[in-house]
Amino acid sequence: MIEHHHHRDRCAIVGIGQTDYTRDSGVSDLSLAVEASLAALVDAGLSAADVDGIVRCDMDLVRPGDLMEVMGIPHLDYFGESGPGGVAPCGMIGQAVGAVLSGQATTVLVFRSLNGRSGRRYGASPPGVEAAVGGQGTYDEFFLPYGLLTPGQVFGLVAQRHAIDFGTTAEQLGAIALACRHRANANPAAQMHGRPLSMDDYLAGRMISRPLRLNDFCLETDGACAVIVTAADRAADLPQPPVLIRAVAQGSTPSPQFGRLYPMLMRESITTLPTRAVADTLYRRAGLGPAEIDVAQLYDCFTITVLTQLEDWGFCAKGEGGPYAASGALELGGARPINTSGGHLSEGYIHGMNHVVEGVRQMRGTSTSQVPGAQTCLVTSTALPPGSAMILRAA
Amino acid sequence: MSGAMQRPQPVTDDRDTGGFFAAAARGELVILRCAGCGRVLHLPRAYCAACATWQAAWRPVAGRGRLYSWTVADHAVHPAFPVPYTVVLVEVDDAPEARLVGYLPGVPELQAGQAMEAWFETLDDGTVLPQWRPV
Repeated sequence: MIEHHHHRDRCAIVGIGQTDYTRDSGVSDLSLAVEASLAALVDAGLSAADVDGIVRCDMDLVRPGDLMEVMGIPHLDYFGESGPGGVAPCGMIGQAVGAVLSGQATTVLVFRSLNGRSGRRYGASPPGVEAAVGGQGTYDEFFLPYGLLTPGQVFGLVAQRHAIDFGTTAEQLGAIALACRHRANANPAAQMHGRPLSMDDYLAGRMISRPLRLNDFCLETDGACAVIVTAADRAADLPQPPVLIRAVAQGSTPSPQFGRLYPMLMRESITTLPTRAVADTLYRRAGLGPAEIDVAQLYDCFTITVLTQLEDWGFCAKGEGGPYAASGALELGGARPINTSGGHLSEGYIHGMNHVVEGVRQMRGTSTSQVPGAQTCLVTSTALPPGSAMILRAA
Repeated sequence: MSGAMQRPQPVTDDRDTGGFFAAAARGELVILRCAGCGRVLHLPRAYCAACATWQAAWRPVAGRGRLYSWTVADHAVHPAFPVPYTVVLVEVDDAPEARLVGYLPGVPELQAGQAMEAWFETLDDGTVLPQWRPV
C-alpha cells in the first residue's frame, strides 16, 4: 500500500514576494512576474542563480524561459505547470514539492502574474463571442447561445440552488464579504484598504447575477505573487522562519465534467465543490482534521464559493454554511478566521496565489491580521473543475 | 461599428454534439444514451465507461422538465443580450441526469421545481435552438 503522507513536513516555503495590487499596473505581465519573483528571492536570502526549477499556472502569459531570460537564471533543471486557472496555486506548490523530493530540483520558484484588470478580464464574456460558439470539446454550444456567458452567472446559479436547498440568505453571503473587507482594512496592501463596508452597504449593492450582488464578486487586479520552495532541512539555514508544507493535495469530484466552467452545471449537486474530495485526501495526508485548522485562506472568486467550502472542509455540516458564516466564526477572534489579508474579495485577485503568500505570513506571525498562536493554515485553490489545497505549519 | 452585435450561435457539426442540433432542426428534442446499458451520456460523449462500449445513440425525450436553478443577469456583458434577462437550468423529465439551459427575457416569477416545457427557436442563420419556458 502506497503511503500518502511521505511528503509531510519535508519541504518549506522560504521566500514570498508580491507586487502592488492595482487596477492598471502600467507594465507587462512579464515585468510583474519578475518583480514578484525577485522580491521572493530577496526575502529568502537567495539569488536568481539559486533557482533551478519554475512552476507556472496554465493561464499565465509568462513562461519559465521568459523568467530565465529576464532574471538571469543561468540553468533550469525543472519546469512544471498546473491548472486549470485558479485551481493552480496549491497544485503548483505540490509540483514543486514533488520536484524537490524526487531530486529534480532544489530551489523552485512558483509564481502567478496577471494584468487582470487592465489586460485580460476573466469576468467578461469570452473574447470573440459573436459568431458560432462551441465544438471541439468545449461544450460551449450548450451554454453561450443562451446568454450564459460569465463565471458570475454560473455562480449565480450555484447560489440560487444553495438558497433553494438550504434557505441561504443574502445576509449570510454578506457576512463573508464583510469578514474579508474587515481584514482588508487592516492590510495597507489591499485594494480595498480604507474602504469600509457595512451590511447595509452590501445589501444596497447593485445586483449582477441574482442572487449575487456587487460585493459577492471578487476584485479584478493587476499584480503578481511568487514563493520559493525548497527542502525543509535546507530551509533551516535561510533567514526567514521556515514555513513547512504539512501536506498538499489535488482532486476532483466523482463526476468532474468537461472543461473549465459551464459543464459543471451537469453535476448531481452543483452546491458541492471539488474541494470536498480534496479535503478527505489532504486531511489524511496531513494527519489533521478540521478542528485543528487555526486559520484558513479560502479561494473566494465569489462569496458563495467560500460558503460551500465551509461545508466541504467540515467546518460545519452540509447546508449550514450560511448560519455558520453569519455566526461571526469567520472574523478575527472567531472560531475560524478566514482570508486574513482580505482575500480575492477585498485584497486582490491573483488567482489563488495571494492566499498562498498570506498563509505563509500567518505561519511566520507577520500578517496584518495575525491570528494569535496560529500553528496551522489551510490554503485552498478551487473553483469548479478540480481543486487543490494545502496545509501550512509553523516550524 | 453600429447596431447590435450578432447573437452567439452554436456550432452544430461537432462530432460528439452535432446530433443534438440536427434533431432540433427537425423539431425534435434528443438526449444521448448508451444503447448497451441505457446510461444518459450528457454532455454528449461517444464512449460509455459504465459498460465499456461505443454504442451511444440519440433518443427522443419529451420536451418537459423541472426548473433546477436560475439566475437573473442584471449586468450586461454582451450587446446581443440586453439586461435584465434570465438564464434557466432545467432537468429533463425523461432524463433527469441531463440539464439543459434556456433563455427567458426579463425577470419572470419562477419557483424551484416548477414544470417547464421546451420550444424551438430559429436563429437568424437558420440554426434551431431548443429553449425552455414555464408551462
